[in-house]
Amino acid sequence: MKAMAFTSRNIKELVRDPISYIFCLGLPIAMLIIMTLINESIPDMEEAPKIFNIEKLTPAISVFALTFIMLFACIRVSLDRAGAFLTRLYASPMKGRDYMIGYTLPFGMIAFVQVIITYISGEIIALIKGEGFSVGHMLLSIPLYIPSIVLFIGIGMIFGTIFNAKAAPGVCSAVITAAAILGGIWMDIDTMGGAWKTVCSCLPFYHSVRYARMTLSGDYSNDMWFSFLICTAFAAVLFIIAIITFSLKMKSDKK
Amino acid sequence: MKAAIKLTELTKKFGSKTAVDHLNLEIYEGELFGLLGVNGAGKTTTIRMLTGLSAVTDGDASVLGYSIKKDLQKIKPLVNISTQETAVAENLTVKENLELIAQIYGIKKNRIQSKTQEIISALELNEVIDQKAKTLSGGWQRRLSIAMALITDPKIIFLDEPTLGLDVLARRELWKVVQSLKGKITIILTTHYLEEAEALCDRIAVMANGKIKALGTAGELKKSVGKDNIEDAFVEIVGGDKE
Repeated sequence: MKAMAFTSRNIKELVRDPISYIFCLGLPIAMLIIMTLINESIPDMEEAPKIFNIEKLTPAISVFALTFIMLFACIRVSLDRAGAFLTRLYASPMKGRDYMIGYTLPFGMIAFVQVIITYISGEIIALIKGEGFSVGHMLLSIPLYIPSIVLFIGIGMIFGTIFNAKAAPGVCSAVITAAAILGGIWMDIDTMGGAWKTVCSCLPFYHSVRYARMTLSGDYSNDMWFSFLICTAFAAVLFIIAIITFSLKMKSDKK
Repeated sequence: MKAAIKLTELTKKFGSKTAVDHLNLEIYEGELFGLLGVNGAGKTTTIRMLTGLSAVTDGDASVLGYSIKKDLQKIKPLVNISTQETAVAENLTVKENLELIAQIYGIKKNRIQSKTQEIISALELNEVIDQKAKTLSGGWQRRLSIAMALITDPKIIFLDEPTLGLDVLARRELWKVVQSLKGKITIILTTHYLEEAEALCDRIAVMANGKIKALGTAGELKKSVGKDNIEDAFVEIVGGDKE
């Protein structure tokens, strides 16, 4: 009940902020359209980078859009910490787990809506282009976003707990940039190879994008499951760190 | 009279600085008790310890028979606080803020609506009921903050400088709210405003440097130092100890 009440409050805070619509829903759709138009503008399709094909672009942008969920989670936690509202809640019977559930569920739900809308938008664009991707693959792919969603919410909560409301968005911007470059959202890291691929494959972003692309194309090979498990492991570790960090912060605030 | 709160050698240290220094005090059930002091006197720190917002360094306090060191989770549902800063969820309406706190404190679902309406009527929040908290004036936000503390039916309410930064009219409006609660629940009020303490409180403790320098009714405090008004009495009591 306590956790659900706090969840409800955080959903209302999020949906009543117009900027969240721009970043969480508008931006992924805009990016899909823009990147598709760029792809279409390249004269010789044989030479065009296949990374911009709608089937590869849609899951990559879905993952990239999760970085904005991370940003909003981070801002919410840091703003709550800066204000007196959280102090009031610290004096209430709420426990640490209520805060974690209350922060995670709303952003998780919004993230799922974001993925679904991005997929539907991608499918519409694909159909307009006469390509279209399998609805079955889409439906199977969406639940597998859970580790990626948890991963980015976890990172957001860690930064929101550690940094103040002024510093937190800046730090998140650095992660958004890193996720785009190291995740291979705008490039195909697998075709690059070398040291760069080694670096990228040591981080979760690459695996998150990789398995999202593979599942949408119906590739459930060992490679896909490998990336899925790597991402899940990172998500689990980072979420545990988020819980510990928030709990420690609660304790240190009481000193 | 039965003690609602009993402080026994309650102490709080921040490094080498002692913010609250071995306080011994009893606050009675139904009393409106004022904690008065200059900045850094230890008023807010004392309240923070009593509400579990700050850890105790030494000593203990009993709140409604429970130790703040051992039984904090039993105390929390029974008390509530309106903090110095306005503690409201800004994007929620007045009604939603009240319902949120009611849910967090475990008020049964079928009682939340009636309880919310009851508090809205009692604190005359009807005209702003559907307004988002961030659009309210400072006075209305403070009123909402107190309403959020009252909706849980606390046996003790801590009002930490509830009128800080408000204009005279808004302050007087809040006084009426506080006065309407007098005798019904135990109220611990911290304030900088001496006339506020004199007008509202049954008893006043004057704090300086983490210690209680004087304790009694406003009349007793004035009499103890031979002054006619509370401001002169306060200056006389804390004068030599002001940081």
